[in-house]
Amino acid sequence: MKIMRFIRWTTFLMAAAALLLGITRVASASTTSSGTGWVRLAHLSPNTPAVDVYLYSFGDPSAELVLHHVGYGTVSPYEALAAGEYTVAMRAAGAAASTKPVLSASLTVAPGGAYTVAGLGPESGLRLEVLQDQLTDPPGKAQVRFIQASLQQHEVTVTWDGKPTVTNLAFGSVSSYQVVSPATATLHAAGESESVNSTITLAAGTVHTVVILDGSKALVLDNLLDAAGSDGVPAGAAATGLGGTAPRVPSPLPWLYLIAAGLLLTMVGGLGVRLVPRQRGRHAR
Amino acid sequence: MPGKRPALFPVLAAGLILAVAGAAGLALTRHPVAAVYAAAPTLPAPTGLITAAPQQRSAQVSLPVTLSIPSIGVQTSLIHLGLAADGTLQVPQSTAVAGWYTGSPRPGAVGSAVIAGHIDSRTGPGVFFRLSSLRPGDRVYIRRADGTLAVFRVTSVRQFPKDSFPTSAVYGPAPDPEVRLITCGGTFDAQQGSYLSNTIVYATETS
Repeated sequence: MKIMRFIRWTTFLMAAAALLLGITRVASASTTSSGTGWVRLAHLSPNTPAVDVYLYSFGDPSAELVLHHVGYGTVSPYEALAAGEYTVAMRAAGAAASTKPVLSASLTVAPGGAYTVAGLGPESGLRLEVLQDQLTDPPGKAQVRFIQASLQQHEVTVTWDGKPTVTNLAFGSVSSYQVVSPATATLHAAGESESVNSTITLAAGTVHTVVILDGSKALVLDNLLDAAGSDGVPAGAAATGLGGTAPRVPSPLPWLYLIAAGLLLTMVGGLGVRLVPRQRGRHAR
Repeated sequence: MPGKRPALFPVLAAGLILAVAGAAGLALTRHPVAAVYAAAPTLPAPTGLITAAPQQRSAQVSLPVTLSIPSIGVQTSLIHLGLAADGTLQVPQSTAVAGWYTGSPRPGAVGSAVIAGHIDSRTGPGVFFRLSSLRPGDRVYIRRADGTLAVFRVTSVRQFPKDSFPTSAVYGPAPDPEVRLITCGGTFDAQQGSYLSNTIVYATETS
């Protein structure tokens, strides 16, 4: 029957229109990740001599990044890398790139991920550890974690702004990130026989790693800024246009006329279709 | 006379098609149509030797003074922006200059510095009129008070409806020196007197 075919046809048209609308909505909401992550390299083993640190993209024999003569306490800036698999290798400073590395570790760089690859522990038990670095902050807060890299003090307790933050952190270990209220305050780290005071600022929207190092005389604190954002987060979007060059929202009237005309035609056509078969008799079905 | 009856079907069909087309047209033109540009292709991996350098940390970078984006003809001084009384980002009074949000990290310091500028005034183009035509790889230059120049590379250009503004991607922590350039885009709502979308340019400092 023609009318059935016709109904199917218009249903199809409407479905197509709905699909078109749906697609434009989805497209405007989609966000793509940039496919970049960050890696920094650190030498935090007190009695290990300086090393050369190599970063290889997995399966590629030529090093993407080489840090020469990295001594104890050195932390490189973040290096932006395409997401993927990497290998970090340590060789004694000056050793040929072809020699077998003293240590190596593999890591997966996820898009938007940040990592610290650190040589930790004593020389006799040196290990390469891949630490996942935090890149988000609760609103209005700061975050800090601690790396205990002092061989002189086996355990260190950290107090910030008068409050114990990490207790008995053992040599070669890394604390989890602690959420703290932003402030400029005294950071106090104390081991069995040595302690150190340092005034540091932990601003809202920042993420820090504080490394506890053996200094020439006593403990030394190295305050690393892992990431920083805005310290006050504005509400919503930005009102950055007054419309002088805007293509206006077109008037809806032409479309409304079109709909009205369409509905009118449909009614006329529909009435006609209904009326005609009645006059012609029932066997038309 | 079975030949006569179908003569009315074209009328019915045309009517329905017109109504559907009208409804689709109406719906499609009511929304800001957001253009989404592709993000930068995977970054070229760093090559060559880099000597170990201690992380620049306490070294305070100087305040930003001017912004220039040669590929879209932007050359402007940078004013300072805070928060408006309603808690939103303050925007420059003049549509001819851009401003740096003082709550965000300084351009060239670790983190994402936020810079906003108008796409237009009531009568013509503003300082960021052509922001949405930036493409990954384009350079953004920021001169600082001490005369130093920070150079950034555009990584992506995106447009977001204002009701789904990517707050954490713009104001949240970043591990390296980055810049977010913000202006308006999409459809202008004449009743509200504002655009319905924001264009955001993401850029990273070149090393």
